[in-house]
Amino acid sequence: MKRRILLSIISLMACVTAFAKVDLTTLPTRDTVQLTIYNSTDLTLVRESRALTLKTGANALQFSWENTLIDPTSLEMLPKAHADRIEIAELVYPPRVKNLGLWNIQSQVNGPVPVQITYLTSGLSWRAFYMGTLAQDEKTMRLQAYVRVANSSGEDYENAQVRLIVGQVHLLDQIAELAGRQYPYGRPGEVAPPGQPMSAPAPAVREQVAELATRLEDFAAKPKEIVKEGLSEYFLYTIEGTETIPHGWSKRLQSFDIDGVPVVNLYKFEEERYGSNVSRFLSFTNDQAHQLGQTPLPDGSLTVYRSADEQKHLSYEGQSSFKYIPVNEEVELDLGPVADVVVEPNLIETRTDNYRFDNDRNISGWDEIQVFAVHVRNTRDVPVKVEITRNFPSPYWDLARNGDVGAFEKVDLDTVTFTVELPPRSKQSFGYTLTTYQGVRAEDWSKTAR
Amino acid sequence: MNTERRTLIGLLALLCAAAVTEARIKLVALPERAATVIRLDNPNATLIEEERVLTLQKGLNKVDFSWKGVQIDEDSIRLQMLDHPAEVTLLSVSYPPGEAALVWEINSAGDFAEKVRISYLLRNIDRLITYKAVANKPETLVDLKSYLILRNFSGEDFAKARVLLDYGAAFEQGINHEETKQMLFVNEPNVPIRKVWKFDAALLPWDPEQLNNQNVGIPVSYEIANNQKAGLGEFALWGGKARLFQQDGHGGTIFLGEDNAALVPVGEKMELYIGDSRDIVVTQRKMRDAQVNLRKNNSGQVVLYDTDELITAKIENFKDSPAVLTMVQHIPGQWDMEQCNFKYTKKDAYTLQFEIELPARTEKGPAVKELTMHYHRRNVRSDAPPAPGSPPMPLGRR
Repeated sequence: MKRRILLSIISLMACVTAFAKVDLTTLPTRDTVQLTIYNSTDLTLVRESRALTLKTGANALQFSWENTLIDPTSLEMLPKAHADRIEIAELVYPPRVKNLGLWNIQSQVNGPVPVQITYLTSGLSWRAFYMGTLAQDEKTMRLQAYVRVANSSGEDYENAQVRLIVGQVHLLDQIAELAGRQYPYGRPGEVAPPGQPMSAPAPAVREQVAELATRLEDFAAKPKEIVKEGLSEYFLYTIEGTETIPHGWSKRLQSFDIDGVPVVNLYKFEEERYGSNVSRFLSFTNDQAHQLGQTPLPDGSLTVYRSADEQKHLSYEGQSSFKYIPVNEEVELDLGPVADVVVEPNLIETRTDNYRFDNDRNISGWDEIQVFAVHVRNTRDVPVKVEITRNFPSPYWDLARNGDVGAFEKVDLDTVTFTVELPPRSKQSFGYTLTTYQGVRAEDWSKTAR
Repeated sequence: MNTERRTLIGLLALLCAAAVTEARIKLVALPERAATVIRLDNPNATLIEEERVLTLQKGLNKVDFSWKGVQIDEDSIRLQMLDHPAEVTLLSVSYPPGEAALVWEINSAGDFAEKVRISYLLRNIDRLITYKAVANKPETLVDLKSYLILRNFSGEDFAKARVLLDYGAAFEQGINHEETKQMLFVNEPNVPIRKVWKFDAALLPWDPEQLNNQNVGIPVSYEIANNQKAGLGEFALWGGKARLFQQDGHGGTIFLGEDNAALVPVGEKMELYIGDSRDIVVTQRKMRDAQVNLRKNNSGQVVLYDTDELITAKIENFKDSPAVLTMVQHIPGQWDMEQCNFKYTKKDAYTLQFEIELPARTEKGPAVKELTMHYHRRNVRSDAPPAPGSPPMPLGRR
């Protein structure tokens, strides 16, 4: 494997312009490397330690990164010993040379000095994904979370400590764009592309990652522990030990595996949002009562299966993408439309009443009265909870309910939600009468409803 | 070393009077630069001042100054006599056709080795400022470093020059054409910061439930005061890209985010937006919006009315640490508040700002605060365009 990042020390006398002619004397290898990979954007913080041998006086350290995706403006070197006797005077990006930086160092130390070099790179990515396996009675679910780390950075990272960041980072420039610049900081007068937050890795990288996903065998050997901790607005996952992820490869690691997460089979009906079909949701809370709640759940996709029989055969139930779930927040996973739970709201009566007339005997106000009968059917062999949301055309309304339904919740000024729970293979009906007030009748409503 | 230099100066020690008609004589002498100053104190242009010694003879002298391949603003070129300003006079400046050059006609009262200062605005050489701040784990302090980036694409090599910024001491630095140099010039440890979460009801969606599988991030910023208390305050902090990191408690750092800092005069605050928090969730809803106190014309049409509006905002903190959320609400036109359960300050006639203290989450669940604003907009005309008061983004059915 050819390592592409090279570091060399030049015993430097004077002239910067002539540096290319100076033979490289040492090539210190990387002692350790740590990768902190972000998922909200194509960004990785690399921290490597190397041991330099410095001479007293002026030293020049050459760092080159041909065929990598390093952002040269992010390069920083810090001595980890003798910091007060080593001055890193400047970092020079010499003329007419690409992918090369030169640190000019004044050293009072003659001998080995450990340094830490950090930079940002593009091309490494990770994502979370989940597998849910419902128990036969659908009351609990086994939730397995994985992370998948992919390297298309151009650099082989051997024995790297891998850390993953969950969070939304504000970036002005794409790292891949910075890495591809001819001059690290551009030229004066160049119009920089407008800074905008990035939401996804560069498409090229994504494609490569997708390609890898189909080509590579996933290998989860002995699961490594992933240590999770909160930092600022982010979560940091540190994978136990080190990993070697060569360029072009990706790796899948298990984040957690929890059995017996209580779930609610939730069905939702809202014509304006989901059409005439009922949508199925799987609901649980990211808290201790649900065996979770240690950390937020990073966004990803969840594939839901169900234990089909005693032989542990599986049936596929659906798939949902997953937003970031903070600790203690309730999750509602949209598994898509279903036909085995049915909601039918029927308008069974409509009339008008309470007409008002103005001085010219024209109509100035009236009430619209609509009577609905709502039939809910559960054809499944498990109990379900159904939320039926109704939107009204006016903020001036009153509602009277009848039949077998509990209280309704006013969601906002023109929306209510009814909740019904149905045992297996059952049906239920309820009705409501909606009165909306038109014209001057709305004024009457405003006076009385306050 | 100097073969790359493109600015040439030639001295034509001629006594010739009929200069107008003769063909131009090429350079005969190349006086060396004595001292060069690169002034980067104005962000819009870079001023170069160079000193040279001209060997002048009594009478009329012609000095040729050319800058092939170097982007000099030719109208900006000035010549200043330093030794004998009263006796050495610049008579005229002429520009030969098709050349990046000019000829100075100088009258000298004697034979002088005259030190002169040539100044001009040079394009494509400038400086940038970048910041790198590393916050401590509790996010109360940052170690602030600022780097000066010199970029020279002017066509001219500067082997050695004094570089002047608008503050601080000048320093010696050489920089070649097409070279970029990064130098540390502010290194201030333990600068206090304030972390700010901000929900602006005009900018963010109101109801996260209406967004399928998307989190509404609450923007998070750091505020750094440019004053002496913070160890700064000596000069205005220039604008530039700022990258923020945080100590991770394991000897390393994580990258928090980056933002463009604006120029921060002394006494002002730098605000850096680093990223979004998804652990604070705001769900804002309009629970009531009715027209009241209607006033009608003779035809019975409403011409003027007040409104009766009720807005609720549920704020949930899912973080394991407390936070203060700055919430900005907007009410257009003339209005009065009937009831509001949190204190606010009026930033202007239409903008209300709340500082809502959120405790950390507990084992029972998130810390929840609920803001209720019951207000009336007054004297709304029916022919006026509808006032904003709804979420800024289309939310499903809206």
